[in-house]
Amino acid sequence: MSRYLGSLDWVLLAATAGLVCFGLAMIYSATHADLTASSPTQYVWAQSLGLMIGVVALVVLSLIDFTWFARLGRYLYWMNIGLLALTLVIGSERMGARRWISLPFFDVQTSEIGKVLLVLALAAFLAEGVELRGSLRFVLKAVIYVAFPATLIFLQPDLGTALVFVAIFVCMVLVWSIRWSHLALLAGAAVAAATLVLRVFPRTFGIELLRPYQLQRLTVFVNPGQDTSDAAYQLSQSKIAVASGMFTGKGFMQGTQTHLNFLPAHHTDFIFSVIAEELGFVGSLVLLLLFAVVLWRAFRIASLSKTLHGTLIAAGAIGVLAFQVFVNVGMTLGIMPVTGLPLPFISFGSNSLMVFLILVGLLQSVHVHSRTALYGGRLKGDPYGQMAA
Amino acid sequence: MYLEPVRRRRLPGEDRSAGMRLAILATAVLLLFAVLVFRLWFLQILSGDQFAAQADNQRLRTVLIQAPRGVIYDRNGSPLVTNRAGLSVGILPMDLRSPETVIPHLAAVLGIPAEDIRAKLDTAGQDEYRVVTIRQDVPENPVVSYLLEHSLEFPGVRVEKSYLREYPNKILATHILGYVGEASYEDLQKEQFQTLKGGAVIGKDGVEAVHDSMLRGVVGTRTVEVDAAGVPKRVIQENQPTPGSNLVLTIDSGLQAVARAAVVDGIARAHADGFVNSYAGVIVALDPRSGEILAMTSYPDYDPSLWVGGMSTETYQNLIDPAQHNPLFDRATKGLYPAASTFKPFVAATALRSDLIDWTQIFSDPGTFTRDQQVWRDWLLQGHGDVNLVQALAESCDVYFYNLGSRFYDLKGPVLQDGLREFGFGQRTGIDLPGEYPGQVPDSEWKKKNGKTEIDRIWKPGDDINLSIGQGDLLVTPLQLAIALAAIANGGDILVPRVARQITDASGNVTKQIETEVKSHVDIGAEDLDAIRRGLKMVTSDPTGTAYGAFRGFPIAVAGKTGTAQKKPGDDYAWFMGYAPADAPEILVVALIEQGGHGSSIAAPAVRKVLEAYFRTESSGPAQVEVTE
Repeated sequence: MSRYLGSLDWVLLAATAGLVCFGLAMIYSATHADLTASSPTQYVWAQSLGLMIGVVALVVLSLIDFTWFARLGRYLYWMNIGLLALTLVIGSERMGARRWISLPFFDVQTSEIGKVLLVLALAAFLAEGVELRGSLRFVLKAVIYVAFPATLIFLQPDLGTALVFVAIFVCMVLVWSIRWSHLALLAGAAVAAATLVLRVFPRTFGIELLRPYQLQRLTVFVNPGQDTSDAAYQLSQSKIAVASGMFTGKGFMQGTQTHLNFLPAHHTDFIFSVIAEELGFVGSLVLLLLFAVVLWRAFRIASLSKTLHGTLIAAGAIGVLAFQVFVNVGMTLGIMPVTGLPLPFISFGSNSLMVFLILVGLLQSVHVHSRTALYGGRLKGDPYGQMAA
Repeated sequence: MYLEPVRRRRLPGEDRSAGMRLAILATAVLLLFAVLVFRLWFLQILSGDQFAAQADNQRLRTVLIQAPRGVIYDRNGSPLVTNRAGLSVGILPMDLRSPETVIPHLAAVLGIPAEDIRAKLDTAGQDEYRVVTIRQDVPENPVVSYLLEHSLEFPGVRVEKSYLREYPNKILATHILGYVGEASYEDLQKEQFQTLKGGAVIGKDGVEAVHDSMLRGVVGTRTVEVDAAGVPKRVIQENQPTPGSNLVLTIDSGLQAVARAAVVDGIARAHADGFVNSYAGVIVALDPRSGEILAMTSYPDYDPSLWVGGMSTETYQNLIDPAQHNPLFDRATKGLYPAASTFKPFVAATALRSDLIDWTQIFSDPGTFTRDQQVWRDWLLQGHGDVNLVQALAESCDVYFYNLGSRFYDLKGPVLQDGLREFGFGQRTGIDLPGEYPGQVPDSEWKKKNGKTEIDRIWKPGDDINLSIGQGDLLVTPLQLAIALAAIANGGDILVPRVARQITDASGNVTKQIETEVKSHVDIGAEDLDAIRRGLKMVTSDPTGTAYGAFRGFPIAVAGKTGTAQKKPGDDYAWFMGYAPADAPEILVVALIEQGGHGSSIAAPAVRKVLEAYFRTESSGPAQVEVTE
């Protein structure tokens, strides 16, 4: 037992715990005066529920051997596809999007789970094809491998999470050592596709692949001044909230933008604005520091992993985390368009919290099992016995 | 196989590539974080202040608390203008959402056109943080209760308590009191209103305007914190308003009412006499020792409470309709008329002072006067015979004064006009009411400038002759006449007339007493002055006097003068001016009935009515007075 405990990455756990507590505190501040809540702590309790399930998952995962997932890659992939397809069909519609499957006691956001499933499936897929790194054909296969679930998510519609899938793909193939030329090709193709979707199709063929609100979010981002729509209002209120925090913030629970309801979605998408307003530059830096620590440990785990598979899993986790942090915080600061991506560990939403705790669990698993000698276990079929301590 | 360690199975040429790739990825992530940190620095440290100000702007609202306006009293402490509490509905542009639905809905509830609301919001300009008053004096039931109950449907709409003017006597001294209204954009540019903000209520006419800075007090402010829906959450700061000072006028409201009734009565008498075009009249009553106005009425007038809460276009159009004969116009200070025979005492005084004649000199009046083959008639066809100054005044002998005019002409200079101007004609009296007209005393200069034809520009003997009986291009206001006569009554002082007596604070303590002001002095010899006074006294006391019939039976000696002015193409205008008691004057009254016919029969009885009320005499004048002048 003590060996197990000794092989956990405690720094990572501490940073994660720090982020989770930070998140609970900020959710309390943002929602305690909410008129629609049944009690000041309603949201905090709801989040805690997700927390508990996530922590259990984290512990379980850190105990099991992640290499298991390598064998299950295919099944995980099709399970993902299946869930996503199901969501499109029987998902409950909220605000014009089908993202949730409602079960008796809670709602499942399949795209969130999809992130984990993709990381695991793609890691297995790429590790399996490790010798085909030079093959463009294989690379394109990988692209399609990811594009399929991504498209299903895009159709919900959920552009933000679809882009997370792209981020996962990019991080993982990068670490997988894709040929630079292939990567450049893919980048070029992406730019071309974006141009087609945003310009050519609408103007020449009249085909709008993006919904109006999605387009609006992009235009507001590019041109904030002219717009008086809701998207522009959100953006402007967020900037006011962040900037008015100044160096030390207005004080915990003292944010006027938040408590006077100027800032919408202050406990979900824009929770960082609350942090920036109430805790100022100092508080914001502390938060970013915590994220940086988590990422640093993830990079370390990636490099320590003796198998490509483990490295890829870590890379996938890095991709999700870094992308979402950058997009969410960037959005609140006005340097990224408004998306629905939550801030990992902090935003209210038990699905998201669970998923990130699961990712941390996977990282722990990779960390633990990269020192299999300590753990003493051996998997059949392979000689990496020389995993010296 | 896919689980084989990286080390063992590396593709050629990609040594430790995973490690390098990780390093590249790490650098990229680091860059992203750096971007975030720099952006945070930019927003929070470099631009923090301006955004903080924006945050404050959004959440703080400063509301003005109206100060109660000072009360206006008459000289006896009886209130003429008071305040009552009312509710006004306004819009705070910053909180207004979905105007396309809210504005029409609000318009329907208030019962006004939606364009009016939009127009008001447009003229309010850029200031989004100040409430634009849409309608004052809105009834609590049902309008305000509805708005408050359905406040969620009216984001940005505010109901505020305000003070509104109330007039206990309804229509009394309307033009003196004036009215209040919202300051217009042009008003706010004026110096005395510089400290005020849009939506402030200011006096627009009468003493409300002249003494506005005393009456209006100082607005208070209340700063509240509001949420994103504009709902006030808590009060941050509050400054109480300072109530306005009260104003005590020189007016006696009892006498004022009598004066108004006397004008109405005079017009009725005129109609009875066949002068059916008479619709308007003026009475000015003042104290000739101090210039205090005891009563001043211009008829027709109107109910000033029509202005309260904003006058509708319909009402206004009705008031300025010619058929209403201009109730908004103050004829006492702005009405311009030929003085006619009421001018004679001043012509006489000027003649005496310039040593043109002496009062004992006799002129012969056969009924006409001839000069240069032109003939001027006396109102009395057969003439008055031989008269001196005293008799000429008493009987209002025109020919006597034609003679004076002719002599004045021969002096070849504006001697007559200068003398008349010394009595205040052709200039403003300086009364503390706005917009007074100076009238005009024509002379050769004036004719040169204003004559329409070649001949018109020459000053002829006829001009001086006409001027001497108060006709020609002469124009005076009833107030000017009163001040000029007061000089005769008080021994030569040209006083500045006034309606304000005192300023008092909310507890009634006098903070300012307004003193008598003597503008100038007319030097006239004692004997000469005495002659004029005797002539005026005889007007009412001697059977030859033109107002003898009108004042028969009046127990107190009145010195005065009748006048019947020609103002073609209308009927003659009836004048009478007089003061009493003749030997120790306390009150001086001037009455004018437009197109009323004869001064003796129509204007004189009106003056008598006022004097009766003042002296509280039992007697009342005859129902019908025979016509003299």
